[in-house]
Amino acid sequence: MSAIGLKIPLRSRHVLPGFSLSLGFTLFYLTGIVLIPLLALVIRPFELGWGGFWAAISTPRVLASLRLSFGMALFAAVIDGVFGFVIAWVLVRYRFPGRGVLDAIIDLPFALPTAVAGIALSTLYAPNGWLGSLLVPYGIRIAYTPWGVLVAMVFIGLPFIVRTMEPVLSEIGQEVEEAAATLGATRVQTIFRVVLPMLTPTLLTGAAMAFARGVGEYGSIIFIAGNIPGVSEIAPLLIVTKLEQFDYAGAAAIGVVMLGASFIMLLALNGLQGWAAERR
Amino acid sequence: MLNVDSVSKKFGRFAALNGASFVAPQGGFISLLGPSGSGKTTLLRILGGLEFADSGSVRFADLNWLDMPARTRNAGFVFQQYALFRHMTVTENIAFGLKVRPRRTRPSVGDIQKRVKDLLELVQLSGLEKRYPSQLSGGQRQRVALARALAIEPRMLLLDEPFGALDAKVRKELRADLRRIHDHAGVTTVFVTHDQEEAFDVADLVAVMKEGRIEQYGAPADVRRNPKTEFVSEFLSV
Amino acid sequence: MSKHSFKKPTDDPIWLKALLGAVALGFIGILLLAPLVLVFQEAFAQGLGGFWRAIADDDTLDSVWLSLTAAAIAVPLNTLFGIAAAWCVAKFDFPGKAFLVTLIDLPFSVSPVVSGLVYVLVFGMQGWFGKSLADHNIHILFALPGIVLATIFVTFPFVARELIPLMQDQGRDEEEAAATLGASGLGTFLRVTLPNIKWALLYSVLLCNARALGEFGAVAVVSGHIRGVTNTMPLHVELLYNNYDYVGAFAVSALLAMLAVLTLALKSLLEWRYADELAAVHRRH
Repeated sequence: MSAIGLKIPLRSRHVLPGFSLSLGFTLFYLTGIVLIPLLALVIRPFELGWGGFWAAISTPRVLASLRLSFGMALFAAVIDGVFGFVIAWVLVRYRFPGRGVLDAIIDLPFALPTAVAGIALSTLYAPNGWLGSLLVPYGIRIAYTPWGVLVAMVFIGLPFIVRTMEPVLSEIGQEVEEAAATLGATRVQTIFRVVLPMLTPTLLTGAAMAFARGVGEYGSIIFIAGNIPGVSEIAPLLIVTKLEQFDYAGAAAIGVVMLGASFIMLLALNGLQGWAAERR
Repeated sequence: MLNVDSVSKKFGRFAALNGASFVAPQGGFISLLGPSGSGKTTLLRILGGLEFADSGSVRFADLNWLDMPARTRNAGFVFQQYALFRHMTVTENIAFGLKVRPRRTRPSVGDIQKRVKDLLELVQLSGLEKRYPSQLSGGQRQRVALARALAIEPRMLLLDEPFGALDAKVRKELRADLRRIHDHAGVTTVFVTHDQEEAFDVADLVAVMKEGRIEQYGAPADVRRNPKTEFVSEFLSV
Repeated sequence: MSKHSFKKPTDDPIWLKALLGAVALGFIGILLLAPLVLVFQEAFAQGLGGFWRAIADDDTLDSVWLSLTAAAIAVPLNTLFGIAAAWCVAKFDFPGKAFLVTLIDLPFSVSPVVSGLVYVLVFGMQGWFGKSLADHNIHILFALPGIVLATIFVTFPFVARELIPLMQDQGRDEEEAAATLGASGLGTFLRVTLPNIKWALLYSVLLCNARALGEFGAVAVVSGHIRGVTNTMPLHVELLYNNYDYVGAFAVSALLAMLAVLTLALKSLLEWRYADELAAVHRRH
């Protein structure tokens, strides 16, 4: 080796240079930016012991906020699942002018800052807004009620469903649908008995991602929600409120619950993605 | 009788079929043989209702075949990559064609069960009712695909290079089984392949195709002894 | 030839196409397009003059400057991190690699408020280092450093997530060849690796930047909302809106929205022209 003049020490196990440097920097960055702060989060609520932790998160206000965040996120994920599937179907399978532009717009909730989305949705669905005013005669109020939370979560969750469904829809291949047709199935029968079941794991994956995002969302929701404690106050907002009151332990307690939920979601997602891969 | 008359089809500017014609008796076993691009799969798919022809006509069993949608033709189709419904068991796959029938013509649950059982025996897969396609070998999957196509008591059986994805030994076995099933059921069968040994082994009538036309058509022995064109003799000598 | 022979069995019937198309377009229009259009309509509600007045306001300009500064620090650092992480994950084998990759994905699954919360717990007055920092007159929270840290946390996965699978796909052959020919580590990276990842790098930096400028929740927690000093553009939007200055709020929003649309356009362009060289597209297809 030394005959070729390589600058690699003979005892190094790696052919390429830069391992320790890159790994070192990576670990340093992760530890400082992610691990240590997360550690602080996990430890903080327990300075009052387990009892203190439970007391902090079982107040009616906290429980209401968690119910709202998780409940509405679930509802939003279901709505997004249905409409997102239809949108993915149309974008993948139909040809029409402007399809590319429409496809790009799907990512808008990803690209638009949440505060901008928040004030836009709030203005839109307020009783005197474009859409809100259409619903007032029917007695439906969206802005400043829990339904505002739902609308905001549906907004930000949609891209997750569409983007996970699109590749699978185009991959499924015609043959399975052709086989169903030759066996006598109508188009609608084919869609419901053959195509939809094959897509279920992927649809669930997308819905889970939308759900996870909805639970943690802040900026898009706080303007349209109304933020009334016990009614329309989401968990992330309650964390901010507690911080402003210097109740660090209380805020951290809620944060830990949400972090725990995130971990569970990550695990569930991994499982779902494994199931989806099996169905391929 | 199956009467294919001057069927043509273009994909864009490419003429996949250029006036293909042949006639076959009811219950015959016809093989469409040729290199890739010869139009054999396109012709098969047109017979199955999966593509539509630009011109020409097909008459089968006194029916104006090309005017019927795939759904109503009752033409069983077997794909090279099986196209099994992966989320359904073997039983559910085979029973599919019967279950989707409108209530009037749908057999009872018991009848469907019996039919599936009989078919599994026919393709020698008894005992694998509850398996999923991912748990089967390639040869087994193709047998399921065949049973599924046969379940609807097809007027016509169409096979698109069905054994192409399998190894030589399994191909021979399945070939023999296919012939046996055909003889037993008496269904008009059209079989696409690029493998001449396969075609000559299993079919009553062979159509050698090139660039969208049928170059020669006849009994295997005749075609072999009297190749009509240079292409045919070259293709068969390889 | 009857109409049957012209419809493939895998085509949806016309009534279904019309129904699904209408539902899809309607949903997209109402849910996605309406808010976007509204932003611009409200921003120019008092005409071009009103728009410029709002933008040229001192506090607004300060917020723009702060946002740009935070992004200018966070994005390059995260890019460096992304390259380093991708380099060691893609070109080497070591235990715990999968765990490392999962850790990198973490900020994507955590609420932005929690992302800011963790820094308050470390640097806040009741946090771990709060007191000692205050004694030395070092301000992390309610100042630029805190904002930068929170921004880094929520945006650092972007570059890494894009480069890691791509560089893994690309393998090590070319770099190993360069090593046998005597190239140094940096030289190998600059001349061999970088050209292969340049579009993915551009793509992910684009997204990282958009998110950095637009981040709200995490920054809201650490910034202190001090008008003209620690308000980024999204925070300034919040302030204006809460003070009923709708034209102002939407004017600044329009700037951010224009950035978003530009990002989407560039993103689509890159995805369309350089699909082969983007891991994100591979993931989707």
